[in-house]
Amino acid sequence: MREALKVGISGVRGVVGQSFTPQLAASFAQAFGMYTGKGTVVIGRDTRPTGRMVEEAVIAGLQSVGNKPLIAGVVPTPTILYLTRALGASGGIAITASHNDVEWNALKFVGRDGMFLRPSEADELFDIYHQQDFPCVEEHELRRVAEIENPMQGHLDRVVEYVSETAIRAGNFRVAVDCCNGVGAIHSVPFLRDRMGCEVYSIHDQPHGRFERPPEPVPQNLDALGHTVREHECAVGFAQDPDGDRLALLDETGTPIGEDLTLALAVRQVLASHARGQIVANQSASKVIDHVAAEKKCDVLRTKTGEIYVSEKMMEIGAVAGGESNGGVIVPAVHPCRDSYTAMALVLELMAESGRSIASLRADLPKYELLKQKIPIRPSQAPGVLRAVRRHYESQKLDLMDGIYVDFGDSWLHIRRSNTEPILRIMTEAPSRAAVDKLAQEARAIIEASLK
Amino acid sequence: MKTLRVSSFGLRGHVGTSLTVPAVQDYAAAFAASIEGGRVLLGRDTRYSSPMIASAVKSSLIGSGCEVLDFGVCPTPVLQFCTARHAAEGALSISAGHMGMGWNAITLIGGDGAFLDTNSGEAVLDLFHSGDFRKATFKNQGCLSACTDYFGAYLDRLCEVVESEEIRKKEYTVLIDPVGGAGCAFLKPFADRFGLKLVAVNAEPSGYLAREPEPRPRSAQHLASFIKHVDGDIGFVLNSDVARVSIVTEEGEQASEEYSFAVVTDHVLQRRPGVVVTNSCTSRMVDDVASRHRAQLVKTRVGQSYIVAKLTDEDGVLGGEGSGSAVLPSFSLGFDCFLMMAMILESMAHSGRMASELLRALPKYHIIKHRRPCDAHAAYHAMDSIADRLSEWADGVKESSDGVRIDWEDGWVHVRPSQTEQLIRIISESTDRDRAERRAEDIAKLVDQEL
Repeated sequence: MREALKVGISGVRGVVGQSFTPQLAASFAQAFGMYTGKGTVVIGRDTRPTGRMVEEAVIAGLQSVGNKPLIAGVVPTPTILYLTRALGASGGIAITASHNDVEWNALKFVGRDGMFLRPSEADELFDIYHQQDFPCVEEHELRRVAEIENPMQGHLDRVVEYVSETAIRAGNFRVAVDCCNGVGAIHSVPFLRDRMGCEVYSIHDQPHGRFERPPEPVPQNLDALGHTVREHECAVGFAQDPDGDRLALLDETGTPIGEDLTLALAVRQVLASHARGQIVANQSASKVIDHVAAEKKCDVLRTKTGEIYVSEKMMEIGAVAGGESNGGVIVPAVHPCRDSYTAMALVLELMAESGRSIASLRADLPKYELLKQKIPIRPSQAPGVLRAVRRHYESQKLDLMDGIYVDFGDSWLHIRRSNTEPILRIMTEAPSRAAVDKLAQEARAIIEASLK
Repeated sequence: MKTLRVSSFGLRGHVGTSLTVPAVQDYAAAFAASIEGGRVLLGRDTRYSSPMIASAVKSSLIGSGCEVLDFGVCPTPVLQFCTARHAAEGALSISAGHMGMGWNAITLIGGDGAFLDTNSGEAVLDLFHSGDFRKATFKNQGCLSACTDYFGAYLDRLCEVVESEEIRKKEYTVLIDPVGGAGCAFLKPFADRFGLKLVAVNAEPSGYLAREPEPRPRSAQHLASFIKHVDGDIGFVLNSDVARVSIVTEEGEQASEEYSFAVVTDHVLQRRPGVVVTNSCTSRMVDDVASRHRAQLVKTRVGQSYIVAKLTDEDGVLGGEGSGSAVLPSFSLGFDCFLMMAMILESMAHSGRMASELLRALPKYHIIKHRRPCDAHAAYHAMDSIADRLSEWADGVKESSDGVRIDWEDGWVHVRPSQTEQLIRIISESTDRDRAERRAEDIAKLVDQEL
């Protein structure tokens, strides 16, 4: 069975043509307009074929309650977050279902600080929505829509200022990029070519939103990029997701190094060349990051899964870098959100300054095997399953911050409900393939037994 | 006073209270479902709320799988003209026409360019009420493209219908007041095509209504005040979607809007005899003009949709209303003031008469119009008792689905609830001004008592 609408900390997400309708989008926009007060609201979207429909509904909804929509157009999610803060807007709405398949779309809500709504803020918004009482303004109070000129400029300027442009340009890198027919198809080639001085080979670079590869930048989806890297003898392959917040890397042989290692390499470069300080990652980010931080005598703090939990903790403690295991790299000095453009710039800078290849940089990192699985589950089944898992591992070191995290020393198991889909995620990491498989099988067996 | 008016060809209401984004989305979705997600033209006027309503409409149309051609700010008659020529299933015009600030409306147009016919309109209403919409997935999602280059083709055709060369030679100085509405940006190309020296007032497409948007003698005051000083040959006062017009003569006379259709009727019948269609409360000038040309005059209820439906049935040559509108089926199936202006100028050029002379050639009547604010439900109720009271009051009372009418030798009165606004309208006409006024006053008092 499929639950076609999901309302949660990652926004409102649904299948267009089923539960996600123009009326629903307008109604949530009205609720968000009331939540922010009658200010300006930045609206941006990814390339999905349903994006324009949602955008028009959001514009109408916001205007009807007295907000002024500022249109960013088709831009990366990190750009929408950046613009919200940079333009002093009251809020922002990102129209993107991120890594979900093309039939999905979503509204993600941004606060005036340029960060996604915190859980308590999202609760207030949903409370307003559920009351369904949106006092609309009269005609003379309506505010006109405005378009943001050069919406990418400020964000990318900031990325370029953060890294050493000279070093990167001197590297004269030849790179390949897989834009996933998303926002990168418009913005990544100009960025890499004109701002980073690279010779660029791009694939899936038509911005039509009918993703020609599965949208998650995980190794099994990146064969075409691997081929491009080899064919043109590129130094690195960059794989983006449709809304440009996550990044996976391929080495010079066209081999994916695993999207969880993007964070490790980016953190390594931040600590080496930019700033020493604390690092924040979610619970299921690879232990590799602990080693990278330890080399520079820095700490890693762990949070629940969800971008906002990571960025909120980073702002709270003044962390220098952080992110998620899914290829989301966050550098607060640029902007406190996951950003594939920051990640690409940091990786190019790392290559330039170290003079080393991705494969050799990868070889420095300790070997861990990370396995991610998912099991479809009805919302009503989840609590029982999680209870069964907890009972089974009672005697181990448990952390119940976000689902169940079992720490076995050099290996771990993390089982949690997805924030975005009706599935249970099972993540395991261990130093060897055999060990990780054993752990995962054991976990699956417990779950399947409790589902019977 | 803020009730939503839902009809088979339109949705009308007060922005923010009754004409809300969800209502607009549902209505547009119902229309899209009725045409199974085909090609749709979208136009709007310049009102402050029109862009918002356009966004709500676009979301529903695209989300229902329609191919949307966005005409941006476009007068309703131009959109109607283009609908038939763009192989569209229909069109949707966002315009409050003659209504005041704070109001707006959606009008549905069929594939032939006429306001949606009753059968199709009822299908839309059924879908609207049942909420049985067409939800497109990413696979059959609609699309949106901007359409800007259409007025040239419109003018090309207009120049086939009227003799533009004859008008050009006269080099008329023409004053036009589009009340800051949808017509603003189209005046210059129109004037250029007919070789007119254009003096435009209230021609910033701001959506701000500098005067009452209904073309009436009193809304022509500004234009009339200086027409002599600029040696104007004629002045035209438009409503905000270019569907109604009244005339100001070169002498500065603010003519009743009733003259507009009468002048056009006289001009058309001179060249092409045939059936003319108008409503039951249009000036007797039109009856007289028709009989002068031995033409048959057919009467319908008030409203563009009724006029055009009858015109099509009767295969008539011209339709129109005393409120200042006309439709020429050989050109398009919409009330159109560009067409009317061109035909009035053609009439002047052809006859060599000044505007004042054109009006003087028509039989002289005095027409008095009153209106009384009144909720829709109260209006229907009140109309029943008004009809009873009137039958005590005078002979020859005729009741119909469209109000009550009394005829005398020298004139008539008509009382009816407005279809578009929360009003009861009272119209009185007579050869004698005092008598027309007295009857209108008497009936207004009667209406006041009933309310």
